[in-house]
Amino acid sequence: MPESKPTLLRFVLQSLGHMFRGPPAYWVWVGFLFALILLGGWHYYLQLRDGLVVTHMTNQVSWGFYIANFTFLVGVAAAAVMLVVPAYIFHRRDIKDVVLMGDTMAIAAVTMAILFVVVDLGRPDRFWHLIPGIGRFNFPQSMLAWDVIVLNGYLLLNVGISFYIVYNHYQNKEPNERRYFPWVLLAIFWAISIHTVTAFLYSANSGRPFWNHALLAPRFIASAFASGPALMAIGLQIIRAISDYPIRQSVINHLALVATIALQVTLFFMLAELFTEFYNEGEHAASARYLYFGLDGHAALTPWIWTAIALLCIAVVILMIHPLRHNPIYMNIAFVLIIVGVWIEKGMGLIVPAFVPTPIGEIYEYTPSLIEVMVSIGIWALGFLLFTLLAKAALPVHCEYLRRQQAREQCNWDGFERRHNAD
Amino acid sequence: MTTYAMVIDTLSCIGCGDCVVACKNENKVPAGLNRDWVVEATRGEYPDLETEFRSERCNHCRHATCVTSCPTGASHHWKDTNIVLVTAAKCTGCKACIAACPYDARMLMRPEGYVDKCTFCHHRIDRGLDPACVASCPTHCMYFGILDNRDSIVSRLLRARRYKVLMPETGNQPQVYYLI
Repeated sequence: MPESKPTLLRFVLQSLGHMFRGPPAYWVWVGFLFALILLGGWHYYLQLRDGLVVTHMTNQVSWGFYIANFTFLVGVAAAAVMLVVPAYIFHRRDIKDVVLMGDTMAIAAVTMAILFVVVDLGRPDRFWHLIPGIGRFNFPQSMLAWDVIVLNGYLLLNVGISFYIVYNHYQNKEPNERRYFPWVLLAIFWAISIHTVTAFLYSANSGRPFWNHALLAPRFIASAFASGPALMAIGLQIIRAISDYPIRQSVINHLALVATIALQVTLFFMLAELFTEFYNEGEHAASARYLYFGLDGHAALTPWIWTAIALLCIAVVILMIHPLRHNPIYMNIAFVLIIVGVWIEKGMGLIVPAFVPTPIGEIYEYTPSLIEVMVSIGIWALGFLLFTLLAKAALPVHCEYLRRQQAREQCNWDGFERRHNAD
Repeated sequence: MTTYAMVIDTLSCIGCGDCVVACKNENKVPAGLNRDWVVEATRGEYPDLETEFRSERCNHCRHATCVTSCPTGASHHWKDTNIVLVTAAKCTGCKACIAACPYDARMLMRPEGYVDKCTFCHHRIDRGLDPACVASCPTHCMYFGILDNRDSIVSRLLRARRYKVLMPETGNQPQVYYLI
């Protein structure tokens, strides 16, 4: 690194420089994501031009694929806490080295979540009504108003903490723990709150018995702590394979263990819910019957939910058998199964059935339209791109810092040994 | 809070749908969308069948979950009454109110993208008239008035007759009553 004064401007310029330097494979990946974003952007333009009528959402099923993806991603964002807690509260060195990647993933996930809400709006041009202070904000009554605050707050917290730490590393300074620790503590509680508030957004609707129960928020948290660490572990392994970022296997094993326990709890919650719905099946179980077994010949979601349950069961078996969990191939298969399973179960499997049947007993089925799928792919690509660029900018700084730290510790250790031997 | 209520006699309703047509004309509701509708519920099994016609719309709940769930305050109670209105210019089309409504009474306007609903014809109430659906009912099975007033037609009917409301268990305190 050239010996120049580490100013903020230089830091930003250098980070941008890192984003624009890379091997051909990096550019192929970024170009691929850009193409998907453009494709999604074009389809979003069509939706803006013609209105939400181009989606397959109706007045009966008014939330669909977008809100399904939103729910899943809020969980992924919240799960960053599974690296933050061991790193900052329990001071695990191996995890502290990679906690930055957890924050980066949270930033990407929460950005995607916010975008999924924006594309679901019928009048996105009036989004400013949702900004506190400018529009009349129905706070604290409206759960969606709470969601706007917690999601944007979580984004700011993560951006702030990561920036502070990386910038200090860039300046070759040890980040002042007394300065950032209160914010880390706040971010930990905030992470739980984003998913709780999102669950309350659904469970507050007393006219939708499928959502209107106390188990929804705990179930959200449990499945988030299964799918989030799984996604994070895969991401970390990819980063380890393509960079010289020192990610220890103990971190991956930690995430696998977290995912295992959370998945067990998720399946237990699911069983508890199935029992309550179907042991004495009443009118309120109609949505659950539609989801799991089909209602009056309508069963669009039934194959999906059973696929999800099967995937999650296979994953939990793989992860509970220790030799399999420590085998990289089986472990990663389990991670993928968890991600897909939770995405189905907590996405379409959670959002759509609440609207089927409607309160007056009609059945309108829902499958996403091509435009919805394309816009969603665009948002996912945007999230991946955001993660790629942020990681690309932060990794060199962080690696350099870790190398220096290691060298410093090596010196200290040598000095200690010399003194010790002299005694 | 002044409580306006609608009372509908299911025993004299013939399910003609005039209330639906009157609403569409009065409020210029676009094709394919409805602010009110008639439900034909069948009870029992052949040959012991019974049909109930119910003219349904927004229940203008005293505790309206659509109002509490709206993030911008576009959904609101009109002039300290139970009448629930949507300020179109403030509505972001987030559809939280549609999810919150236990009666499926809300709709997304196409292609404008904001949420619309029954207004109890508050513009007619201001002029001392009944809502369009009530005024047009050919069998006089619909009644409208202020529930706080003991001598209003709705108060007297609810004192005299057996009635029900839809989904009282949601805690919304709906104000459309059905005489049974």
